[in-house]
Amino acid sequence: MRSLRRSFGGPMTAVILLLAGTWIFGLIAGPQLIMIEQSLWRMEQGEGGAEISARIDRLYNQIDILSFDKMDIEDKPASAERDATLAEFTGKIDALTVEIAVLEATETTPRKVYSIDNYRLMGSAHLAIFAKTVIASLGVTAIAFFVCYPMAYTVAKLAPPRRAALILLALTVPYAINELLRIFAWQMILNYNGLANAMLGVFGFEPVPFLESGTGVFVAMVYAYILFMVFPIYNTIETLDTNQIEAAKDLGAGTWSIHTKVVLPHARPGIAVGCIMTFMLSAGSYAVPYIMTRGTADPWFTQLIYNKFFESTNWNVGAAYAFTLLAVCVVFIFLMMKLLKVRLQDIAK
Amino acid sequence: MRGKDIVLKQASVKFDDFTAVHPLDLTIEAGEFFSILGPSGCGKTTLLRMLSGFLQQTTGDLLIGGESMAGIGPSNRPTSLIFQNLALFPLMTVWENVAFGLHMRGWSKPKRQARALELLETVALSEQALKTPGQLSGGQRQRVAIARALAVEPAVLLLDEPLSALDLKLRQHMRAELKQIQKTTGITFVYITHDQGEALTMSDRVAVMNKGRIEQVGTSDQVYGEPANPFVATFVGEANLLRGQIAQVADGYATLDSPIGQFRARNSHSLKPGDKAMLFVRPERMQISTLTSKPENAIEAVFQRRDLEGPFSNLYARSGAQEFAIHQTNTEGVSYAASDRLTLGFSPDAAVVMAEGALSDA
Repeated sequence: MRSLRRSFGGPMTAVILLLAGTWIFGLIAGPQLIMIEQSLWRMEQGEGGAEISARIDRLYNQIDILSFDKMDIEDKPASAERDATLAEFTGKIDALTVEIAVLEATETTPRKVYSIDNYRLMGSAHLAIFAKTVIASLGVTAIAFFVCYPMAYTVAKLAPPRRAALILLALTVPYAINELLRIFAWQMILNYNGLANAMLGVFGFEPVPFLESGTGVFVAMVYAYILFMVFPIYNTIETLDTNQIEAAKDLGAGTWSIHTKVVLPHARPGIAVGCIMTFMLSAGSYAVPYIMTRGTADPWFTQLIYNKFFESTNWNVGAAYAFTLLAVCVVFIFLMMKLLKVRLQDIAK
Repeated sequence: MRGKDIVLKQASVKFDDFTAVHPLDLTIEAGEFFSILGPSGCGKTTLLRMLSGFLQQTTGDLLIGGESMAGIGPSNRPTSLIFQNLALFPLMTVWENVAFGLHMRGWSKPKRQARALELLETVALSEQALKTPGQLSGGQRQRVAIARALAVEPAVLLLDEPLSALDLKLRQHMRAELKQIQKTTGITFVYITHDQGEALTMSDRVAVMNKGRIEQVGTSDQVYGEPANPFVATFVGEANLLRGQIAQVADGYATLDSPIGQFRARNSHSLKPGDKAMLFVRPERMQISTLTSKPENAIEAVFQRRDLEGPFSNLYARSGAQEFAIHQTNTEGVSYAASDRLTLGFSPDAAVVMAEGALSDA
C-alpha cells in the first residue's frame, strides 16, 4: 500500500485501488455470491397453489381471446344481431372476471424458502449428463496434452528458429478465424453427408453418425482449445536451459528419461496452466456442443444450465447447476496443482 | 578409473559453408591434463562438442582409447562433460544430481545413493546432499558438477570453462582442486578456456587455438617461452613487439633492423637476412638500465605511466611511436616521474625473432 503510493502517488493509487476493487468485488466476488444466494432458495406456494395460479392464467387467456373476437364484431355494421352477440360476449367476459376474482381471493402469495432442494433437483438424468461432461472434458484435456507436449517440445527445442517461428505462426493462424466458423468447419467435415463420411464411402464403409454419437463434439473441442495447451507448455519448455538436456544425454539418459526426469518436471507449471485452461473451456463450452449436435445427441451440461435459466426461467435451479460446474472447475484446479506440485506463484510466472 | 588417450586424425567440423574446425591432427595422452586455449569464437567449444559426441566430425576420424567414435552419441562415449554453466538439475537434490548417471545405468536406489554420498564425501559436500543446487554457493555447485561427472567413471573428463563464473579467490582454489582430482583419478582432462592463467597453471600440455586451427601444442613453458608464431606470442602473456627486417644472422642469433635501431635476438625460427620479421620480448625480461655505458639492445625511451597490478607494476615507456611495457616487481622500490628519460634494454637470449604473421587482437 505504502509502496504503491511511493511509486504512483496518491491519486493514481486511488484509481488503482478503485479498479482492483471493482474488479474483485464487482466482477468476481459479487456475481458469484449472488449466484450462490440464488441457488439456495426457491419460491414456494401453498397447498394446490400452483394449480390455482395455472387456472387463473388460463382464464386470463380466455378473456383475451374473447376480447379479440368482440373487437371483430364491433367492426361490423350495426344491426340487432350484432348487438345481441356483443351483449353475449360481454356477459361471458364478466362471468370470467368474477371467477378470476374468486380464485384470486383464495390464492396465497408465494414464499421465499431457503433450502438445498435446487441441488437435489439434479436428478439421475442430469447427473449422468453432468458426469459425462466432466469425463469428456477430462478426455479433451488429456488428448490435447498428448498432442501438444511433443509439438511444444519440438518447436521450443528441436526446430531451427526460422522453422519454429513458422510452426508457431501456422498454429496461430486458425485462431484468427472466429470460433464459430472453426466449429462449423468440423461440422461440415463430420456431418452425416460430410467429407469424412464421403471418404469412408469411397472405401466402401457405411456412413458413421459422428455428430449424433457425440464424437463430433469431442473432436471439435480438442481442435477449438488445443492452442490453450500448446502455448503455456511451449513457454515453459522454452525457458529450460538446453544444456540440461545435453547434460542428461551426456550422463547416459535416453529420450524417455530426458523427458520424464528433466523436461516434464521443468514444464510442470505450463502443463498445469494448459490443463486447467483446456478443462475449464471444455467443461464450460456452450457453442461447440450446440453447433455440433443441434439437439441430436445428449446435451452438454452447459446447455442444461442455459435451458434452466432461459427456457424454464428457473433462475434458482440454473444458479445451482452453474455453481456445481464452478465447484468442479475449482476442484480440478486444486487437483492439478496438487498433482503437479505446482504453487500459485509458479503458475503466475 | 584410468584415463584414455584421444587421437584426432584430420578431423574437421563444418557448418554449411563455415569451417569451425579445420582438419586437425592431435594426440592427447591418457591421463594428461590438456588445455585448449583460445579467444572466443576460435572453435574450441566446437572441438569440445565433437569430443563429447554432440557434434560429429565432418571429415577425418576421432579415436578415444583406440576406438573410433564415429556415429557414437554422447550417452555412449567414455566421456563426461562439465558445462560452462554447470547445468545441474535444479529440481533434484544434490545427491540425486550426482546419482543421475548411475540411475541411467540402472543402479538400484540404495546402491546409487551410497555411491553418490561417497563421491560427495570426496568433494567435502556430504552435509549438503539433501539440498537443491539453488541452495548452494558457486564453489559448492562447482564441486557437485564435478562429482556428477565423475560418478559415471569416465575415461575422459571434458571441461568447458567451468570456472569462469567464480570470483578470483575461489577460482584459484578450484584450480588446485581440479588438478588434485585429475592426479588422484588419473582421468584424461580436456580443459577448454580463454583464460591463459588457468591453462598455464593447471595443464600438462596446452594447445593454443585460433580461427579453427591449432597454432601450437606444448607444455606451458614451451607455449609461453617458445611461442611458435606471432599469434601465440601475443595471445599467451604480453609481449613487446618490434617490426623490421633481418640484417644478419650468426650462431643462432639474428640482428633486426628496426625504425628505432638494431636489436639482437635468438633466431630459433631460422630466418634469413632480408626477411621481414617481428621481434618479441616479454615485459618481465625488459630491464631499465642504470649503467651509464650503453648496454646491448638499448632503447632510449621516455617514461609514461605506472599501473600497479599487485605483486608487480606495469611501467610504460615510449620510444618514437613505439610503446614498451616493463614488468617491475614491487621489491625494487625505484619510482619514476612522467617524461623521465630511461634507457631500456633486454638480453638477446630474452628475445626472439620470427616471420611476420597475424597477431592476437587482444
